[in-house]
Amino acid sequence: MSAIIDTRTSELKPARHEDLRLVTGHGKFTADWNLPRQLHAHMVRSDRAHARLVSVDTSAAAAAPGVVAVLTAWDVAEAGFHELPSGPPLTGSDGKPQEKRPLPILASDRVRFVGQPIAMIIADSAVAAQDAAEQVLVDYEELPAVASMAAALAAGAPQLHEGMPGNVGFVFEAGDRAAVEAAFARATRTTTLRMHSQRLIGAPMELRACLASYDTAREHFTVYTPTQGMLGMRSSLAAVTGFDASRIEVVAQDVGGSFGLRGGPYAEQVLVMLAARKLGRPVKWVGSRSEVFLSDWHGRALTIEGSVALDHNNNILAFRFEDQADLGAHNCYFQSMIGTKNITVTMSGVYKVPALFARSTLVYTNTVPVSAYRGAGRPDIAYAIERLIDQAAAEHSLDRVALRRRNFIAPSAFPYTTANGTVYDCGEFAAVMDKSLKLADYAGFPARRQTSESQGKLRGIGFGCYLEASGAGGAPKDVVSVRFQGDGLLHLYGATGPSGQGHETSFAQIVSDGLGVPRDLIRYRASDPTQELMGNGTGGSRSLYGAGSAFKILIGNLVARARPHAARALASPEGTLEFHHGTFHAGEHHISLLDLAASLQGPSPHPLDCEGESISGSTFPNGCHVAEVEIDPATGITEVINYTAVDDLGFVVSPQLVQGQVHGGVLQGAGQVFGEHAIYDPESAQLLTGSFMDYVMPRVGWVPNITTDYHLVPTKLNALGAKGVGESGCSGSLPALVNAMSDALRRVGVPPLDMPFTPAIVWQALQQRV
Amino acid sequence: MKIELVVNGIQRTAHCEERTLLADLLRENLGLTGTHIGCDTSQCGCCTVQLDGQAVKSCTVLAAQADGSEVVTIEGLAQGDRLHVVQQAFSACHGLQCGFCTPGMIMASVDLLKKHPSPTDDQIRDGLAGNLCRCTGYVNIVAAVKTAAAQMAAATGSQGARS
Repeated sequence: MSAIIDTRTSELKPARHEDLRLVTGHGKFTADWNLPRQLHAHMVRSDRAHARLVSVDTSAAAAAPGVVAVLTAWDVAEAGFHELPSGPPLTGSDGKPQEKRPLPILASDRVRFVGQPIAMIIADSAVAAQDAAEQVLVDYEELPAVASMAAALAAGAPQLHEGMPGNVGFVFEAGDRAAVEAAFARATRTTTLRMHSQRLIGAPMELRACLASYDTAREHFTVYTPTQGMLGMRSSLAAVTGFDASRIEVVAQDVGGSFGLRGGPYAEQVLVMLAARKLGRPVKWVGSRSEVFLSDWHGRALTIEGSVALDHNNNILAFRFEDQADLGAHNCYFQSMIGTKNITVTMSGVYKVPALFARSTLVYTNTVPVSAYRGAGRPDIAYAIERLIDQAAAEHSLDRVALRRRNFIAPSAFPYTTANGTVYDCGEFAAVMDKSLKLADYAGFPARRQTSESQGKLRGIGFGCYLEASGAGGAPKDVVSVRFQGDGLLHLYGATGPSGQGHETSFAQIVSDGLGVPRDLIRYRASDPTQELMGNGTGGSRSLYGAGSAFKILIGNLVARARPHAARALASPEGTLEFHHGTFHAGEHHISLLDLAASLQGPSPHPLDCEGESISGSTFPNGCHVAEVEIDPATGITEVINYTAVDDLGFVVSPQLVQGQVHGGVLQGAGQVFGEHAIYDPESAQLLTGSFMDYVMPRVGWVPNITTDYHLVPTKLNALGAKGVGESGCSGSLPALVNAMSDALRRVGVPPLDMPFTPAIVWQALQQRV
Repeated sequence: MKIELVVNGIQRTAHCEERTLLADLLRENLGLTGTHIGCDTSQCGCCTVQLDGQAVKSCTVLAAQADGSEVVTIEGLAQGDRLHVVQQAFSACHGLQCGFCTPGMIMASVDLLKKHPSPTDDQIRDGLAGNLCRCTGYVNIVAAVKTAAAQMAAATGSQGARS
């Protein structure tokens, strides 16, 4: 997409309202805030993966220069704090509710992963706190550790938690096992493939930080922290600390990425609150990158074995999935949904599958707890399905396109209820695939492959037809508001918080388009302490349609509320008024909405202040992504020659922002496909990829060309007709890229490989092939 | 120790420890929080500033090494209200989302364009290899650099035509 250039002046026009402060270095990320008299905190963390804590001697640290206090588990207990949230319990295959082992805020008798918080040192400078932390003496009695699910499940493995024999945290089933077994029994052909979606480090570029201050007179906290929605963070902080939410204000002006990992509180947020209240001074904590590698939740870490049964006409009779999801050492927020519900809600993919069954086992290991990272299980199941389909095509000499086409859910079949009860509302899967393959010049691939091969290179093309369910949203409804504050602007408020998505622009755009008021005169702010707005935070790709639909409703409410005032102002009956382009018209007389608002300005509340609300559940974004790769067998290096994404997002408000989300999701997928992997040492369960020196991150040029296009089938499930886009880039890119790699490597006899396809791994596989 | 340096055209004096990094001096002592810290191994480039005309990662420069030098940070790039063409291009091309990597990415791009006013794709890839972004997928960042290059060339061209 080309730059926005003002054709009159040839000047470059800003794409977003928030850009000005961000390109000039005037953004305010959490670490940028400083308060008078603030103290600095540094964490003491376990450097063993599994140990009894015999003693934690903080005396030398407490006496170190500049140190004001040291917090341990004892202080947390004394403050009466509750556990960090770990989400509502699911129902297991045994019919019983899930039991949890949440992460203690500070360890008391045992540590179960390298990085687990043990103490917080508070001093008058960050370096003083860091120096003092090195003087804390921890006496560990080491226990054997398990760094992988296989090791944790093995007979005789050390047990991490009481009451969790075999380190199995939870077993979940969905679908109809008997129907699936019957389908496999009568199938003409079947294929099975075991796939690993490796553990990732989400690594938003902002280092996690927090700053808390406590106003003793008002008994009121101000907490600066990254969030995915300040109201959600506030209620979690209230639940943990026991302070009423009305006494906590959360500030997050700019958030440097989150991808699911910054939605809920960690130990550090509640500890700085405890410290600020205890010490009567603000307390600030800023993590280092290698520390955040060990303290932000990790992502993915699933193994899925998928099987497909086909009849003699290659109609799909059944899918069966068996997955194991690594919990890490403790339960944490959202985590349990990933390997269970998120995998199974859309385990039919885009296909009509008469029988579906999945069984999920969640396993404890001595590693950092795993939680939601961009897609949270949905990219993993899309990957598994699409890879399985390609593998079946390869094993049984079927055409990949034809096999999919005959099994797509037809447009006439909607609303379609999958075999395990998910209701898809709409979609045109064949049209999406055809458009994508045409854009990618799939038909011309054989000739391009010949050219590559004549130069000694391998070339592959692969695609993935993904479908995912966007977030249903935990809040009963999304409520947004508009306030007129006498400054000539429309001030919009909502509960959902941005971390790069451009909410300040896209919500302003919706209201601008709906009212005919210039976007420059509209401000969106993610929550405000005076606003008690119910609504969902960012998560599950639902902000645009969730809060956006509520804004659409608000537009109608606002115009209706303004009408009688306009009638009075124009001395004309309401029935004669027309509203368009931001202005009420009565014959030749008119008054703009903003002028009308200005004329009504007086003591709060402003007569035009109002709200809009909407209830929106899941939607079903889907698409077809095509990747074309060229591999140099001499080095194992892969170039992504072309990448095409055609997505059905229902309705697009801001084309540039939507494209940006697709690009970002695709590169995160490419990261997982080509290099990212959080690797633990099997003996010691130390994180070997402990910094950006060892953890591969995608860089400029990894996927140089991304063609994006859309085939939009608006949904009736919300007022905008939009489906979520935030996470779909991952769901499309994992299968597209891996199917392309498999297409290239299969040709020279390499068996199916797991991600990441690093040069070393690809080269090795090529040396070892038959 | 005492450090004296020119930052964004203004003479500044600060006191810090010998071990203080330039990035921390800028952020903590001088209140210029536009320069960001994103890692501890010099990998991410969020801290990129100009030191005596060269782009450097300020996390890998001791404040002491900048004594007597000229530093330009992201806050010093715009001329009053007038954004630098690279800043404008980043916004116009949607080359930023969360904005955390953006100051460093812009400073690295400014340096790249000084060395290669009409950069090829390979030169852009090399020039920004030291800067990580987790949000944009980089495609629009490359577009921003190319757009800035074209705008700068057009401006030079039109000036040339006038003289």
